[in-house]
Amino acid sequence: MSEVSTLGDVLLKVEEVSLRLGDVQVLDKVQFEVRDRIRVGACTGQIVGILGPSGVGKTRLLRIIAALDAPDAGTVTGLKGVQVSAGHVGVVFQDYPLLRHRSVRLNLEIAGIANGMPRAEARQRASQLLEGFRLADRASYYPAQLSGGQRQRVAIAQQLVSPKTLLLMDEPFSGLDPAALDEVMHLIVEVANMNELNTILIVTHDIRAAMAVSDTLLMLGRDRSPEGKIVSGARIQGCYDLVEKGLAWRAEVMELPAFAQLEKEIRGRFKQL
Amino acid sequence: MSRAAILRIFLPNRAVDPATALFLVAFWVAAMLLVWLLSPFASLPTPVEVWRALGALWWKHGMGPELLTTIKLILHALLLTIILSMLLSYATVIAFFRPLVAAACKLRFLGLTGLVFPFTLLTGGGYPLKVALLTFGMASFFVTSMAQVVVEIPRVQFDHMRVLGAGELRILWEVVVRGTLDKALDVLRQNAAIGWAMITMVEGISRAEGGVGALILNQNKHFLLAEVYAILLVILLLGLGMDYGMGVLTNLICPYARLERVKR
Repeated sequence: MSEVSTLGDVLLKVEEVSLRLGDVQVLDKVQFEVRDRIRVGACTGQIVGILGPSGVGKTRLLRIIAALDAPDAGTVTGLKGVQVSAGHVGVVFQDYPLLRHRSVRLNLEIAGIANGMPRAEARQRASQLLEGFRLADRASYYPAQLSGGQRQRVAIAQQLVSPKTLLLMDEPFSGLDPAALDEVMHLIVEVANMNELNTILIVTHDIRAAMAVSDTLLMLGRDRSPEGKIVSGARIQGCYDLVEKGLAWRAEVMELPAFAQLEKEIRGRFKQL
Repeated sequence: MSRAAILRIFLPNRAVDPATALFLVAFWVAAMLLVWLLSPFASLPTPVEVWRALGALWWKHGMGPELLTTIKLILHALLLTIILSMLLSYATVIAFFRPLVAAACKLRFLGLTGLVFPFTLLTGGGYPLKVALLTFGMASFFVTSMAQVVVEIPRVQFDHMRVLGAGELRILWEVVVRGTLDKALDVLRQNAAIGWAMITMVEGISRAEGGVGALILNQNKHFLLAEVYAILLVILLLGLGMDYGMGVLTNLICPYARLERVKR
């Protein structure tokens, strides 16, 4: 059963992005766009999973989208075609880097102040996020005192101190136990649905978790010769619209037979990437 | 102590409780004293002779004021070392200054002996010369260690601040200056020790102003070994006290550093 939804404005457009490192063509004309998914009566953000095997260039692509690295060719634009610039895109890096010498509260406050927010406003916003992310009792802790899951929550909250609609997450599911994985998946959906224009781009090789939270799945991979030899840089090899397939925005989606079937299909395709 | 606890202190990669750690320190101190007491070398003064020499130095030869002179010199040089070294180390984030910092690091291979002449011309000799030499000796090592600390900051920490929208000056403050403060204090601890190790040579250049370095050289000239060892012992205890104090200071200013230390 597919949800009734329409597509609105383009929120992110990656056009013909290429990157070469030395002799290796890492990315080869990567192209995709993310549009606002509009559901009547519901505030629905966008969650896009980018799947690809290790070493395919997922993190490189993420860094280019975040404007941390410049591509050799191609462009990345946001809402209304504005070129994306560093500081306007949130990034939750793989190891959740935080300021080790600052408490959890100050980590959040500094994220606001760094973006030009008045100190009082940053303090207020930090308090809201500490409550919202169930971190109020950890406010005075240093990052070294946090568990992996708490650290991840702080890293996500830190990116939300200043209003940003595009959030990139690098391997948010890696190394998590089943309970923590569930919690992170809920958190991602919750953050996405805070604002209609919120877009979360998840770069991962965890097919099942990506399918469970995303509304769109993109497969990043390289072309291979009939002998199985890599013959190109990575590009988008396939796209799955999970809304269209009735596999998005549903609480128990992982229990549906269609989910298992699609997972099998994607796994088969993943091996060829 | 249980059999398991005894076994634990001899097995590799095992953590011990604070009481055991204290016991081990006491054991080694006692062992060292025993080796000293039972030493077969007749020329090596006994602990009792050293203790008596210390009393004589303190009450008859004015060791107290000499110590103050040395402490003042060390602290003065340490302050200048901190200012100079920090500026140079943090300057490594700017490409223009990197060759200058690299050159400053290489100066640690130079001995002080040949530098006395140009430094005398620059400072006019006396106390300023001693401060300059000590500062040079400590700073060349401090800059080397600290520049390495700055170079080893992971790139993701800079990127993390950039995605938060921080400007480069704020990144410099949060990531480079504040983010490495605990390591800077650790490096400072090591370099204060270098200062104490150099003190005899530096104070020997201009003995008229005194200091324990000059005192030790005077006693050594007359082969008063018990006095020499008494002064060495005082220098060691002072150095250890200073080291301990700096450790306490590090824990107070940077409590997070202690949290990150892994106990094996």
